Amino acid sequence: MNEPIIMTKHLSVSYEEVEEPALNDINLSIEKGSTWLILGPSGAGKSTFIHCLNGLFPRELDGEMSGHVYVNGKDTRDYHPGEISRHIGIVFQDPDTQFCMLTVEDEIAFGLENLSTPLEKMEELITESLKLVGLEHYRKSDISTLSGGEKQKLALACVLAMKPDVLILDEPTSNLDPCTAEIFTQILHRLKAQLGITLIVIEHKIEEWTELVQHSAILNQNGELFYQGTLRDGVTEHASSLKKLGVWLPYATREALKTASPLSKLPMTIDELSFKPEIVHPSDGYRGQQLLQTDNLSWHASKQKILDSVHLDIFQNEFVAIVGPNGSGKTTLSLLLAGIHSPNRGSIHLKGRPLGEWREDNLRNVIGYVFQNPEHQFITDSVFEEVAYSLKLTNKEENEVREVVFQTLKEYNLEGLENRNPFQLSQGQKRRLSVAAMTVMDQELLILDEPTFGQDWNTTERLMDVLQDKNSKGKTIVMITHDMELVDRFATRVLVMEKGKVKIDKKPDKLWKQGDLSRYHLNLPPRIQAERMRLPYVSK
Amino acid sequence: MYLNDLNPSVKALTIAGLVFILAFLFDPITPFLYLIFVIGVTFLFGRFNKKHYLLYFSPFFIFAFGMLWTTLAFADAPSNPEQIIAVLWWEFPREDLFIAVSLSLRVLAFAVLSLLFIFTTDMVHFVLSLIQQLKLPPKLAYGVLAGYRFLPMLKTEFQQIRAAHRIRGVSQAKTIQGKVGQWKRLAIPLLAGAIRKAERTAVAMESKGFTGNRNRTYFHQFTVTKKDWLFPIFMFTALGLVILVSVKLGYFNIYDGEL
Repeated sequence: MNEPIIMTKHLSVSYEEVEEPALNDINLSIEKGSTWLILGPSGAGKSTFIHCLNGLFPRELDGEMSGHVYVNGKDTRDYHPGEISRHIGIVFQDPDTQFCMLTVEDEIAFGLENLSTPLEKMEELITESLKLVGLEHYRKSDISTLSGGEKQKLALACVLAMKPDVLILDEPTSNLDPCTAEIFTQILHRLKAQLGITLIVIEHKIEEWTELVQHSAILNQNGELFYQGTLRDGVTEHASSLKKLGVWLPYATREALKTASPLSKLPMTIDELSFKPEIVHPSDGYRGQQLLQTDNLSWHASKQKILDSVHLDIFQNEFVAIVGPNGSGKTTLSLLLAGIHSPNRGSIHLKGRPLGEWREDNLRNVIGYVFQNPEHQFITDSVFEEVAYSLKLTNKEENEVREVVFQTLKEYNLEGLENRNPFQLSQGQKRRLSVAAMTVMDQELLILDEPTFGQDWNTTERLMDVLQDKNSKGKTIVMITHDMELVDRFATRVLVMEKGKVKIDKKPDKLWKQGDLSRYHLNLPPRIQAERMRLPYVSK
Repeated sequence: MYLNDLNPSVKALTIAGLVFILAFLFDPITPFLYLIFVIGVTFLFGRFNKKHYLLYFSPFFIFAFGMLWTTLAFADAPSNPEQIIAVLWWEFPREDLFIAVSLSLRVLAFAVLSLLFIFTTDMVHFVLSLIQQLKLPPKLAYGVLAGYRFLPMLKTEFQQIRAAHRIRGVSQAKTIQGKVGQWKRLAIPLLAGAIRKAERTAVAMESKGFTGNRNRTYFHQFTVTKKDWLFPIFMFTALGLVILVSVKLGYFNIYDGEL
């Protein structure tokens, strides 16, 4: 038994403006050298918890903290400001906002300077930490030129250079494409083996961490510690409660949960799945008339080619998924298709008419676009007005507007919030509202840029239900995503982009048969992985 | 030896000092000679993209020229109207022309001094040197650096918000009231996003042990060496010589409220 490196005793945090505490009486003990996954739905206080561990609470942030946090046996209140960073290092979720310098080496040096590391030592530590994450050739690079994955590796290098005992990762891969995320977790595997560091990962998805992590602590909606122990027991014994909480269960657990009797032992990884998973893939459905057609579509920003001669036809009633590595031009393509940007070269026809000839308001009644960041689309002060906005532009009767708005709010699980300010909603509510406000006009074509990004299981399922429902009523959906499971379950067609070109355009089940998916930073959906694993037995 | 290698704080203080002195001089010859001298120094001892220099210089030039023209056109009645200078096919009172040329050359002299600094100084090094030499509090200085990274991000975000509003059917406002409302609608998500980003960055900085106090080491160490002193000595001596020449030629004049 190792001594605990982090221990919390009756830790509670509450914010002034909110009645319910963000964290409620947390007693957790984390041993040196162990690996933990802190799970919980969005809004369960996971971020608040990390801020407690590195001493930002109660010193720097607003809010009341009671109870104690001990790091290496010493109360965080007794540490000098900045001293805890010698023990605890954090990699944050957003690759863009965790840096304050302009170049890679300066950023790593920043942390070392804070620790008053002598100059001679800095050189050595910078070289060493860059090597650990595989960025040694980027030492002099500008941070702004790095990709999302490289930025996360840099964030990791910055922390490693400071030689902490504990490494905390706050949803470190949520901004990354599947392959980059996998590479990142591989680095963590290696670090763990090499350095024997204590690792704490904060997540609401379990799937990619099952191999790395042994222990888990699960927080519920009220900020209470619902479970602590091994990850396996947490997942398999509390699966149905976790599902209710909105935690993304591993695929195998979810599948088994559908059919299993309450007493049977649930699997956690795909290879433990003892039956062939059911295929939930959509039927091919009918494909309607041509809706959108692009010809030789190109777009560049300051000499850099973002989109390179794309030829594409989109038909009515399709559910198209656009996938590919970060920075391959997916968002740009979607903005051009929606008529938000104009192409530098080439043309787009909507229902046979050039996009440029459409009147803006007519165009908006045909194409809806949901941005990645829901806040960008909010233009009014209340949830009701937000949904009603587009309807009011069409001179509908007041009563009719009210009826449609309440119907829509119900559909998106937003009832009772109609007087709230959109900016004060939770992550998931904001996302659902932004989609609700956009789809209320019942457009024929709906384009969505990573609508499930950062969302917990419940919001994702609700959103996908709505989209599938619209699709079954004849609407066309075009969705950018990194989630191959969603592609597998919902898409009737998938476009794979690489370096500004559409490289593959097929049905998803044909794509899975393609051998070189990792070239496009894609992975197989769990259903296919499970099938492949079973294949030898099946053929017997 | 290049201007780029000088200590940024010494360079900045020298430039500020020169601008201060030049602001008191009011004759056409001193700024003209000094202008040529500064451009010469910049091109001889600076490492930078020469094309960009012209690009940045041109707006100042246009501004100075506009100033020259307006000062001439709206000049007060001269006290010695009989003294006339002919430029090409125009004739100007000598006094008015002198004032106009002095003013516009002064603007240009300020401009080339600023450009000398901007083109040969790394922004980050300047801020770091401000902390180390001029005792700027690190809390403020690193805040400025983080903000510097934010500017391009804010621009992208602004464009995204505008596009998002456009497709929601927010049309161009025509009344002043409508325009105010439109700006408010754009500003709220932009500010909300900026505040959230700033907070995240602040939390990230603090979690890396940043406390804002001076108790830290520096990866880029800036010191003031003997060669750094050469720059102010050189620049101020040159200004003195230029003033001497202009006195000898009988043009020298100290600003005395004339316009």
